[in-house]
Amino acid sequence: MPNLQPYADPNYFIYLLLALVPLSIGLYFGKRFVTYEILVSLAFIFLIFDEGHYVNQGVALIIYSIWQFLLVWGYISYRKKANASWVFYLATALSILPIFLVRLAGAGLFHAQLSMLGFLGISYLTFRSVGMIIETRDGAAHDFHPIMFLRFMLFMPTLSSGPIDRYTRFAKDAAVAPEREKYIDLLGKAVKNLFLGFVYKFILSYYFGQIIYPYFQGMAMSDAHHGMVLSWWLIPVAYSYGMYLFFDFAGYSLFALAISYIMGIESPINFNKPYGAKNIKEFWNRWHMSLSFWFRDFVFMRFVFLFLKKKWIKNRNTVSTLAYFVNMLVMGFWHGLTWYYILYGFMHGAALAGNDAWIRFKRKHKGRIPHNKWTEGFAVVLTFHFVMLTFLVFCGFLDTFWFHR
Amino acid sequence: MSNKKKLWQIFGPVLAAFALLAFVFLLPFSLTHFSQKSLKESSVSFSSQLVKGEAVKNAAFADKKVNYVPFFGSSELSRIDSLHPSVLAENYHRDYQPFMLGKAGSDSLVHFLNMQEMQKTLKTKKAVYVVSPQWFTKTGSDGGFDLFYSPLQVVDWMLNLGQNKPTKTDQFVASKVLDKGSVKNSPYYSRLLKQVAAGDKLTSAELSTLRLKHRILSRQDALFTRFEKTSNYKNRVLKAAKPLPEHYSESALDRLGYDEGKKNTSNNDFHIKNSFYTTRVMAEKKALKGAQKDYDYTQSVEYAYFQSVLDNFAKNHTDVMFVITPVNQRWAKYTGLNNTMYQESVAKIKYQLQSQGFNNIADLSRDGGEDYFMQDTIHVGWRGWLALDQYLNPFLSGPTEKTNYQINNRFLSKDWQNLKPSTDNLADFK
Repeated sequence: MPNLQPYADPNYFIYLLLALVPLSIGLYFGKRFVTYEILVSLAFIFLIFDEGHYVNQGVALIIYSIWQFLLVWGYISYRKKANASWVFYLATALSILPIFLVRLAGAGLFHAQLSMLGFLGISYLTFRSVGMIIETRDGAAHDFHPIMFLRFMLFMPTLSSGPIDRYTRFAKDAAVAPEREKYIDLLGKAVKNLFLGFVYKFILSYYFGQIIYPYFQGMAMSDAHHGMVLSWWLIPVAYSYGMYLFFDFAGYSLFALAISYIMGIESPINFNKPYGAKNIKEFWNRWHMSLSFWFRDFVFMRFVFLFLKKKWIKNRNTVSTLAYFVNMLVMGFWHGLTWYYILYGFMHGAALAGNDAWIRFKRKHKGRIPHNKWTEGFAVVLTFHFVMLTFLVFCGFLDTFWFHR
Repeated sequence: MSNKKKLWQIFGPVLAAFALLAFVFLLPFSLTHFSQKSLKESSVSFSSQLVKGEAVKNAAFADKKVNYVPFFGSSELSRIDSLHPSVLAENYHRDYQPFMLGKAGSDSLVHFLNMQEMQKTLKTKKAVYVVSPQWFTKTGSDGGFDLFYSPLQVVDWMLNLGQNKPTKTDQFVASKVLDKGSVKNSPYYSRLLKQVAAGDKLTSAELSTLRLKHRILSRQDALFTRFEKTSNYKNRVLKAAKPLPEHYSESALDRLGYDEGKKNTSNNDFHIKNSFYTTRVMAEKKALKGAQKDYDYTQSVEYAYFQSVLDNFAKNHTDVMFVITPVNQRWAKYTGLNNTMYQESVAKIKYQLQSQGFNNIADLSRDGGEDYFMQDTIHVGWRGWLALDQYLNPFLSGPTEKTNYQINNRFLSKDWQNLKPSTDNLADFK
């Protein structure tokens, strides 16, 4: 049995696209072959987990899916009758529990036992189910449809790393076949995304990630071996990693979207020229968008509303500053329980809060601070370099550089 | 616009792209031509790309104008000075020209795979194989494996095997290559190698797939190896040949080696080339004192890797000369490298060679104390190269001898790998 990691090499695309041909023809003629779609999805998920150390992950995925299925089902059933806050918080906590335990394992606690729970894609599946629970609390999702729930949770193109969709949006697409005009547009976008993805992932990401980044790491490490606390080489390490991360993840996202489109599902886009952002807030509207919007809606906004409603803090600005830190720190923790992910979250929280303060300051002193294309250009450059600095922290190389020489 | 037209606009370019790809990869004619100049440059490029690929090797060893002879080795190959084999061959118009395969990190396992891409060459040409005792560390020195590995090597190896039953050597190498990261991550190659390691024949269906793979990978190799351009020949070999006298005279060249050596090793007492000393030794000098006193080259998996190379030479009846390199004695004294141990490992290597009929051996291992014999810590230079030339020139300029090798698979065994050599137990090992 072959083992096929998602989008890992050109063969994967050949197999997957061939398997999707019948589905695509059906969609073109206005029919959605749901059973076939489910079978193809399950087959390709199976092929991720069918060999070696992946088998254990496959088992973990099954257990995880059952757990989330029961939780969401239970909460939706409950929500029809009542709406107590503690039940909502309990359901959310239980939904987050698996990834929390896996992150503990990542940090070295009960590693042998807890890491058994982990599998490729767990962090993204968590967003899907937690999102459903929150939407249910807010009254957006009504009935529990077991099959639709599983199609959503285990949507194969975006299983391993997103983009993170929302249940209500997904269910609307997945219930029907798109209009023919619309579907042809989607196919056009799919082809464009696939080929752009090939350039990003197999050429640029390879070049930055496998050739340039390791080279600069090596140069920096040789300074480390000479006992230096800092090295000029850390600068190109940061930039090469930043370029690698963008092309790798954006390339992957393009693939995931292309396959979604072919399956007639318009998953949300993930990247929109992030390195051209004029400030850090705009950066997060362009970088890993499905994640940052998820956090905006389900962490930031809820935090702000809760604090204002309960009047724990009166000053709106203080609340939003606090919310930025909470938001980005949670994101940092979600990445993993290491000092560098958390510091990364903290840096972005601080930058978002600082950015807001700057905008308030500008508004107060209207007319006295110049605003033209030069200052905008400066802002883009500044934002880019700041982001690269945070990626130097994020990539974890500093941990090796300082603590594992 | 009609829907049909829209679909054409979307998928037309895709079809065109695939047609172009098929054209490039599958058409039977060659897309590559290597000029004499670029082959000369390749012969001293020391690029890992050469070890990985087959296009340049095929072109060089089939070249009708220049008789390129493969020199398998590692870091020592790139120590170019006036008496380096490539320089002497160039300057004295020898009827051979060394073609260097290897750089730091290419040990016998690397060369076993490297050779799979050039079996025909090994059948028709002589070869030189430079053995560094430094490879023979306990777990082998194959940290550089990934740098030199390419799937094309495995495909060639499998195609060479055909439907024959894998030999003990094939099984051994397959089991070792399976452990390497670059192979482990590829389900296709690890499945094939598992099969070979288990001693199972390849099926004809597998061989057809392999032939298709070969077509694609070798085309890829031919298209992309040429991107690595070096100018060592122009900038280093031809420059190093300038001071050489017009006619070859061993004594005149020895004097030249002495003078060049002296001039270039003036900043230290170890007779290490100045540039090497400042960049590689000076900063760590203190830490290196006595640092090698526990080094042991006598017990190593590398002996079995070495055996796999010997087996391959024997299979192809290659007339091959082995070179065993010395270490810089002045430096070894400083680092505490045990000379007795070194000589024991050399004896073990030589026993492995001679008992199987490999009798062309240039053993330089005792000469590392001679003045300007070494270019740096473990690499020969100047007078060392000249001493080697006394072996190489007669061998490579003379006629090809019929070989008579008797391979003994016991040299693959753990018993041999772990044998602590002494004069008695070597002769007893059968």
